[in-house]
Amino acid sequence: MTSSTHHVVLGNGIAGNHAASVIREREPDARITLVSAGALLFYNRYDLPNVFRGRQHWVDYLVHPPEYYESRNITLRRKTQVTELDTRTQTLSLAHRETLHYDKLLIATGGHAYIPERLLDYTKLMLGFHNFIVAMQVQKSVRKGGTVIMLGGDVMGIDLARTIIATGHRVILVLDPRTFWPHDVTPSDRVKYLQALTNMGVEVQDSGRVERIEMINGTGSGRRVFLENGGHIRGDVVMPFYGIVPTVDFLATSGIDMERGILVNPQLQTVRDNIWAAGDVCQIWSAEHNAYRFFYGYRNVKTMGEVAAHNMTGKQATFTSTVNEKLVVNRDGSLYSPFWEHD
Amino acid sequence: MAYHTDIQISICGSAGDGTIAVGDIFKRAMAHVGYRVIAFDQYPAEIRGFGKCIARTRVATSRVYSMKGYSDVLVSLNDMHAIPHVGEVRNYGALIYDSAPMSAVAEGAHISGHLKPGHIPYALPMREVSELATGANRSRNFVALGFVAGLYQLPQDAFHHAIAAKFESKAAAVTKSALAAFDSGFEAGAASYQFDDVRIDAPRGRKNAHEARMMTGNGAIVQGCLDAGIETFFGYPITPATGIMERLAVEMPRRGARLVQTEDEIAAISAAIGAGYAGSRAATATSGPGLSLMTEMMGLGVMAEVPVVIFVSQRGGPSTGLPTKTEQSDLNLAVWGGHGDAGRIVLAPTNVEGCRRCAGRAFELAEQFQVPVIVLVDLYLSNRYETVFLQDENEFLPKDWKQTATPRAGYRRYELTTDGVSPRCIPGEVGGIHTATGLEHDEYGNPSDSARTHTLMTEKRYEKLQAAIKHPGINFTKRFGDSGKVEVGLLTWGSTFGEALEAMLLAQKEGIRCAATKVVMLSPFPVRPVLRFYKDCQQILVPELNYTGQFAKLLSGEIVLPVTRISHTTGAPLDVSTLLEAIRKAARKHRRQHNTT
Ligand SMILES: Cc1cc2nc3c(=O)[nH]c(=O)nc-3n(C[C@H](O)[C@H](O)[C@H](O)COP(=O)(O)OP(=O)(O)OC[C@H]3O[C@@H](n4cnc5c(N)ncnc54)[C@H](O)[C@@H]3O)c2cc1C
Repeated sequence: MTSSTHHVVLGNGIAGNHAASVIREREPDARITLVSAGALLFYNRYDLPNVFRGRQHWVDYLVHPPEYYESRNITLRRKTQVTELDTRTQTLSLAHRETLHYDKLLIATGGHAYIPERLLDYTKLMLGFHNFIVAMQVQKSVRKGGTVIMLGGDVMGIDLARTIIATGHRVILVLDPRTFWPHDVTPSDRVKYLQALTNMGVEVQDSGRVERIEMINGTGSGRRVFLENGGHIRGDVVMPFYGIVPTVDFLATSGIDMERGILVNPQLQTVRDNIWAAGDVCQIWSAEHNAYRFFYGYRNVKTMGEVAAHNMTGKQATFTSTVNEKLVVNRDGSLYSPFWEHD
Repeated sequence: MAYHTDIQISICGSAGDGTIAVGDIFKRAMAHVGYRVIAFDQYPAEIRGFGKCIARTRVATSRVYSMKGYSDVLVSLNDMHAIPHVGEVRNYGALIYDSAPMSAVAEGAHISGHLKPGHIPYALPMREVSELATGANRSRNFVALGFVAGLYQLPQDAFHHAIAAKFESKAAAVTKSALAAFDSGFEAGAASYQFDDVRIDAPRGRKNAHEARMMTGNGAIVQGCLDAGIETFFGYPITPATGIMERLAVEMPRRGARLVQTEDEIAAISAAIGAGYAGSRAATATSGPGLSLMTEMMGLGVMAEVPVVIFVSQRGGPSTGLPTKTEQSDLNLAVWGGHGDAGRIVLAPTNVEGCRRCAGRAFELAEQFQVPVIVLVDLYLSNRYETVFLQDENEFLPKDWKQTATPRAGYRRYELTTDGVSPRCIPGEVGGIHTATGLEHDEYGNPSDSARTHTLMTEKRYEKLQAAIKHPGINFTKRFGDSGKVEVGLLTWGSTFGEALEAMLLAQKEGIRCAATKVVMLSPFPVRPVLRFYKDCQQILVPELNYTGQFAKLLSGEIVLPVTRISHTTGAPLDVSTLLEAIRKAARKHRRQHNTT
């Protein structure tokens, strides 16, 4: 492509950042714009549990300093929410009423926490762990030696539970069919893995699903979670960990094929010309499974960014995952997800 | 370690956005709670229209001397105007802007697309918040101000107080809606996570904090005039001097003094000289173009030895030039302007307190030496706000200070005395009849074109001024920084001194031995102290806001030693970092020459 090509990378996460740097390597003169709804530079979400260990300045989590983007001439647009994609005019509509034209577009908008419909009314009474501000809120809400109630228990939650327990707090986990998401777990393995959780110090609560959540005494701090069997548990915060769903709401009128995520071929191309997708937002065609499927975890997402960048700059690259997707019980009895390994 | 707060907030908008108004409230609120504040607003030359306005305020816990060359926070009320200033914000500083503009914006026209990676964005739907709080979108400026106050946890009460004071004379509904918009912004700011590293700690308790006043250079000139007991003022409006006349017009009648707006500058100086001749403490104020018109009459003041004070606030020139931008390019006109050998006194204060002091002393000097005195400032100093702690209002000597010798028979108004100062008489004094003329004259005032008379009288008119350098009430030069021999010295005048001093303090922290001297009296020139300073400095830098190096040339006319000129003609004040870099460069050069590190 010519040097005036405008590559727009939508999403300032792992996939988007790797893609932007590979595009820059391959096309030194291209215009690259990295768009993000968030305020911060790309930071390491994997390390966020460390807010419990006193690492409470966001700059400590940065993957790249500001100079990284300046030296690579990558324009970073933060606090820029995309609301619509028009593939005909090749423009993105931004929430602040500006439009942004692209020649080639990579959608890497990741995912956000899935909340089961029956709990949507209680969203305000729960705290996720998906960004730095919320992580800080959680840490501030948990008293010394206090209790965190985790609902569901996906792999992000389990990873966080390890640190919360190690820093002197309690974790009560209310089980759900989505516990251990995104791993597919057989019933016999599930028993084994639950035992591993207990070994890790997690207090497993298997008394049925959550019925409702209340604020204790209306004070703003402290929560009570009522379970289907009639009992209830108390904690400082309630955190939903039911896995994630792709962030695709702005694509509703785009004409891009979607199931839950954006459907792409193994070259990560969507059905539209000049549009690719990578990361947690996309479902990739798998000949092996004869279906479109998600590939989660740092290594997969990073590879997707690279593959998409190559294809956006004229190379033919194909995504293949080499990540072991099975949970492992360590020698010390704790749980480990190779799928979840990161640099 | 005690933390020293020193931040600069810039608010940028279009004329009509209320940029200057909220900037004003911000600085007053901060000064009210005890911070040291310096502020400088920039506004468009057009009276009507949508030009750019920027209100910059530096807030510190200890004294600071100039605006910073960069901002810690930039608030955009108008992206088109603010975008060129995004680069002024430092890494990890904040940009606060409207995330809900009224209409669609073209690609690239929203400020969010221009932030540097190191900036921290705060996208605030100012218009929507304003509409919710007040029912109209006009109060975006107060929403933004409230956001700043909430984000940095500034005392809400002080802002309420400043808002109420600002709209004291307006309908109650105006104050109410401003407060409502401010409070909504405050709430949004307080609820935002502060990612930037801008810290505003509580001000240090200062015993006389309650005596602090916010004043501009023009305001301080007015205060100086009033404290010195000004009796008559004649003026013709011209930016940036108009503010002097406007304020005097309010204050002088209250004190039984008279102010007249004349038809032009020639009339203004003529009337002021007439009033001075009649024994009144008289003044006028103008800018460069007006001073051009006044120079002919100033010659009369010199020749007839009439006391008069002329305040001159410089702006970009020549001609109509840059009426709303600053420059120090009327030094030549102030010191030399006019025909003939017309010596006069020229004072150039360097800060707001200095404006008051020079204004008051100018009347004393004019009367003592019977001569026109120019107080030369520039737009930057005229319009710059500083927190000041004023001296006793009675510090200036009253008018009849060493007024005249007793009139007597054979009274010689222009008597050749040892100090050159002749006994002065004002019209109507018995025995004091004399001729006051623009023609060369003898000791009685009678016209004379004899060679001897002209030589003696010219000498007298210059010689009498030498004693002015010894006037006890003003530091005509003052040295700061390292004493003794230094690697780099800065010789400065007027408003530029603040930046020079800040740069010097930073250079000292880097281990460079340096000093800065301000020269407050430009005419007659205080050669001795300046020469002493010269001798102490390995290199001398002379920064000023003009192209030709007018001060450097004034210096070289008195002292034939080399200086490095730093001339700057952007219409804006000099940048501290530019000066610091120049100091570093000079120090490196000196070290290379002397093989030291
Ligand atoms: C707390 C936590 C811990 C984790 N730990 C691990 C771990 O240890 N190992 C592991 O492998 N994985 C982990 N994950 C998962 C991992 O973070 C994700 O798989 C990965 O971040 C996905 O990367 P991505 O680039 O696809 O999207 P993301 O990193 O989610 O980035 C999405 C980007 O898109 C932007 N965006 C979204 N919508 C819009 C829009 N409409 N307009 C503009 N911008 C938009 C967002 O602002 C964001 O910048 C963790 C996740 C969390 C939250």
